[in-house]
Amino acid sequence: MSRPVRRWRLDLVPLILPALVLVAWEIASATGLLRAVFFPRPSTIARLLLAQVADGTLLAHLGLTVARLTAAFVLAAVPGVAVGLAMGMSRRTREGLDPLFALLYPIPSVLFLPLVSFALRQEEVAVAVTAAFTSFFLVVYTTMTGVQQLDRTVLEAARHFGAHGRRFFLTVLLPATLPAIFTGLRLGLGYTLIVVVAVEMVSAQRGLGALLWLSWQILKVEEMYVALVTVAVLGTVLTGAVEWLRRRLIPWAQDIAEVGA
Amino acid sequence: MAPGASQVSIRDLTVAYPGRDGRLIALERISLQVEPGEFVCLVGPSGCGKSTLLRVVAGLASRESGDVEIRVNRPGRPPTAMVFQEHALLPWRTVLDNVMFGPENRGVPRPEREANARRMLDLVGLRAFARAYPHQLSGGMKQRVGIARALANDPEVLLMDEPLAALDAQTRVILQEEILRLWAELGVTVIYVTHSLEEALLLGDRVVLLTARPGRVKRVFPVPLGRPRGLEARASPEFGALVDRIWAELREEVLKSAEAERRDPPS
Amino acid sequence: MSGAALPVLLLAAWEIAARTAVVSPRYFPPPTVIAATLSRLLTAGEFWGDALTTLSRLAGAFLVAALAGVPLGLAMGLWRPLRRALEPAVAMLYPLPKIALLPLFLILLGVGEGAFVFTAAVTAFFQILTSTAGGTATIDPRLVEAGRNYGARGVTLFRKVILPAALPAVLTGLRLGLGLALITVIAVEFVAAKSGLGHLVFRYWQMLLTGEMYAAFLLIGLMGLGATRGLRAVQRRALGWQEEIGWR
Repeated sequence: MSRPVRRWRLDLVPLILPALVLVAWEIASATGLLRAVFFPRPSTIARLLLAQVADGTLLAHLGLTVARLTAAFVLAAVPGVAVGLAMGMSRRTREGLDPLFALLYPIPSVLFLPLVSFALRQEEVAVAVTAAFTSFFLVVYTTMTGVQQLDRTVLEAARHFGAHGRRFFLTVLLPATLPAIFTGLRLGLGYTLIVVVAVEMVSAQRGLGALLWLSWQILKVEEMYVALVTVAVLGTVLTGAVEWLRRRLIPWAQDIAEVGA
Repeated sequence: MAPGASQVSIRDLTVAYPGRDGRLIALERISLQVEPGEFVCLVGPSGCGKSTLLRVVAGLASRESGDVEIRVNRPGRPPTAMVFQEHALLPWRTVLDNVMFGPENRGVPRPEREANARRMLDLVGLRAFARAYPHQLSGGMKQRVGIARALANDPEVLLMDEPLAALDAQTRVILQEEILRLWAELGVTVIYVTHSLEEALLLGDRVVLLTARPGRVKRVFPVPLGRPRGLEARASPEFGALVDRIWAELREEVLKSAEAERRDPPS
Repeated sequence: MSGAALPVLLLAAWEIAARTAVVSPRYFPPPTVIAATLSRLLTAGEFWGDALTTLSRLAGAFLVAALAGVPLGLAMGLWRPLRRALEPAVAMLYPLPKIALLPLFLILLGVGEGAFVFTAAVTAFFQILTSTAGGTATIDPRLVEAGRNYGARGVTLFRKVILPAALPAVLTGLRLGLGLALITVIAVEFVAAKSGLGHLVFRYWQMLLTGEMYAAFLLIGLMGLGATRGLRAVQRRALGWQEEIGWR
């Protein structure tokens, strides 16, 4: 057997298990082994999904969720990187801000919704700010750790060969921290999605989270599954996009293993 | 500085810093003159301060008292360029960009610094790897890039801090030959720190032996072996005799250093 | 500027702003009032029931996640075929916000403790699984070789070499998982439950009992802080030889 054929087959292996599960589910649901009330057939879900895409309803909800996600992520990421860099470079900044952040970080973002909506009357802005909270801290701390773990000898060599001030910041510090910043952004994006969906479940009329929650409340199970699948796909696409971007922008480094983060 | 004076002039240099129990003296009243085009090797027991001395000359560490003067023969030329033990290449830049880093910071226009960088890569035999990233290279190759980067900066004095220590023995031998060749071709002044007596005698015109901490100049050994010097010099009887002589004195210092560590172990 | 200065400064600014009605004291009661409300409610026995509810849900979720995640993670780390089979499924499910599974569990398990605990358990499970599997898979093979060389085999090898080597990653995963479980329990309570601290925040919000709401908020914050710091201390004591614990 020639090499290329074998490798092509190997690429399909990861899909075997999920495909088997789907097929088993379809059969079990169709034959009544699984109650269709709880586990509708995947084919039914797929058909409903396509219908909702065709008439635009699903895309409207998806678009709204994505818009909130983007707003929240930008709110978290831009100040997050800036503050993270500052805390990494200056011990005083770190010691000044750390106690406050450590207090706020463990609180689920979604709980800030009441507070934020008191302060900001505009509903969409309140949603974006709430979803940005914990993600902000994630980005800050990952960036900060990235700065702290920089190879000091490399920085010293760069200074020795004449990089100072602004040059040093732009051509040395930023590229050196970019892998850590990226990891922070990846984590932050994932978390922002979680909170946006949660906030939509609590208090929105439209958006994927709202769709999810409302279909449950009126017991339209198939619609709930459609929303669930869409959220899952959204999550996967986002993660994939970040990975792709990382491979393009940072060809010299792999992702920091999440194990000891 | 007076004309005809040394390339590097170190006078009464003392380096100290606050330690666990008061002031820790790394180097005490070191004086050393290095002539233009000379290859000087610093040896001594671990912790004697030889790397510190190099770093002070490079401007990377501060001194408590004394003078370090480096003669600038051509205005605009950086006084020193260092080759680090762990190569310290910028991982996000290609090999070529790394070698161009120094001139880039000094504002040398791109065509000029690129041509210069390629010349340096040629000299160290890495022309084909200009577009590679450091993580794709072996240890020996990374160190060669480090040397190219230092040379590309066209310094008055080339400083090398145990550049071959992290490499395997075979790569080390090959790079020793290369350093000899480069030095003969370029004629640059070199101060070279090493743990290995054999390496110091192979490469240097003079070997400076430092004492255990606080580091002082114990003795300076001129190396009367001829130039051009190749690896075969190691086989000559003079070489062996020199090794023995220096080792006899170095051994004292190494034992002193070990004794000091026994009395005052790291916590 | 000492570390505690900034929070103290902000609290003082808040206190003054609320008392002078620069911000509406209805929506942002002064911190002193909040603290007083919290102590009043605690001494009157108010929050204890809900706090206990939240904690028991947390305990349930964490136990389920750990009992499932650690063994599976170890297995995945040690046997490549298993890892290769499961990894794509895990990778596909990891980016899914687990809270989106809540309605599904509410349907399957009815509106009750099961759904809440399960949602939180699934969130923690993925973290524990990923950390454990990753840590086990990246054990320095030379350690294992050295162990074998000195006569350790099978169960002994596992107990004396592999488990200790994987322990830092496992404990980190458990610590992160516990934090995630707590966050998810509270979020789920906020969204769907009729009891628990998260639900209290929601209820007081709806009734605009802002003093009580902030008091519950504060309690949750302290709980979270205590849990995070406490677990890191435990990890540090258990693994004196591990260098870096990390900030989370």
